[in-house]
Amino acid sequence: MRNQHGKYFWQKRRTRVTEQDRAVLQLKQQRDKLKQYQKRITLQLEKERNLAKQLLKDGKKEKALLLLKKKRYQDQLLDKTENQISNLERMCQDIEFAQIEMKVIEGLKVGNDCLKSLHEAMSIEDVERIMDETQDAIEYQREIDEMLAGALTQEDEDAVLAELEAITQGEDLDLPEVPVEPVPEFNKEELQLHPERQRKKQKEGVAI
Amino acid sequence: MSFEWPWQYNFPPFFTLQPNVETRQKQLAAWSSLTLSFCRHHKLYTLDVMEAQVSPVFNNKSIDRKLSTDAILVVFEELRKKGNLEWLDKNKTRCLVMWRRPEEWGKLIYQWVSKNGMVNTVFTHYELANGDDTEGEEFHGLEEWMLIRSLQALQTDGRAEIISMDDGKGVKFF
Repeated sequence: MRNQHGKYFWQKRRTRVTEQDRAVLQLKQQRDKLKQYQKRITLQLEKERNLAKQLLKDGKKEKALLLLKKKRYQDQLLDKTENQISNLERMCQDIEFAQIEMKVIEGLKVGNDCLKSLHEAMSIEDVERIMDETQDAIEYQREIDEMLAGALTQEDEDAVLAELEAITQGEDLDLPEVPVEPVPEFNKEELQLHPERQRKKQKEGVAI
Repeated sequence: MSFEWPWQYNFPPFFTLQPNVETRQKQLAAWSSLTLSFCRHHKLYTLDVMEAQVSPVFNNKSIDRKLSTDAILVVFEELRKKGNLEWLDKNKTRCLVMWRRPEEWGKLIYQWVSKNGMVNTVFTHYELANGDDTEGEEFHGLEEWMLIRSLQALQTDGRAEIISMDDGKGVKFF
């Protein structure tokens, strides 16, 4: 039931068997037939050899000789068959290899086409134009940066700080009393571990 | 490697169908597995009911017991229900035994094909079942009908395509 069902669907689909496959199959079938023939002859030869031995034992030398002649002929046939089988097999391999070569060429062709279309999509002029535009854009960006940074140069920053100091000095500040206790020693490790926090503390001190 | 008989084989009541439903079920299950493993061991793909009667499976000479034809038919019917057996004729004299399902055979064949890097190649059926290359593989000597079924199973999965030509058949694996 399932198989019939599957087959039904299969027939609707496109077959993946090529003409070459059919040719190979035909060659292989021919080879199978030869192999079967070979088997038959080999068995026959074995039988006749035994028969010839028997005949010799019985003293029928003439008959044995005749049989051996026949056997010799079949031996030759066997050799020929062997040759034909190898011919067929070589042919099969040639076809199979040619198919592989064709696939390789197809692959190369696809790659080539792809490369070509990619090259078409980016012409030299386009690249030049894009590079120019990019250069322009970089230039433009630099100008903007300068303008933005130029609004507050280092000098300006210094001036701001100086002004701040001037204001703080001018005011009478209500400072807390200086602590009497000795300052606890800094734990060096802590300092190393939390340099940021320490710096922060220092900064805070400055701000006050 | 000789075939190992189950213990029931030397148990005389095993050769008479048991009236008790539960016992009978167990008995039939044992017979089914015995038949299948016997066929597997001897690589039998078709059975003849007449021949089966004299075959050692249903005929244990050492304890002088044999399963009757009717009982054999009951066992075969049991196997048919499980999908391991198919009748070849209406009169139920010959049947196909599938101790391995076509899908499993297909899997074995496909494994061999891909292991040998022969995917995308064409094979004749003779080459697969009787060729020198498959000598020693389990599917070597597989009967034509079974081979075709397993290839059909592979075809359903899209891993093979059967090619029919004027004389003989072939298959291409993907």
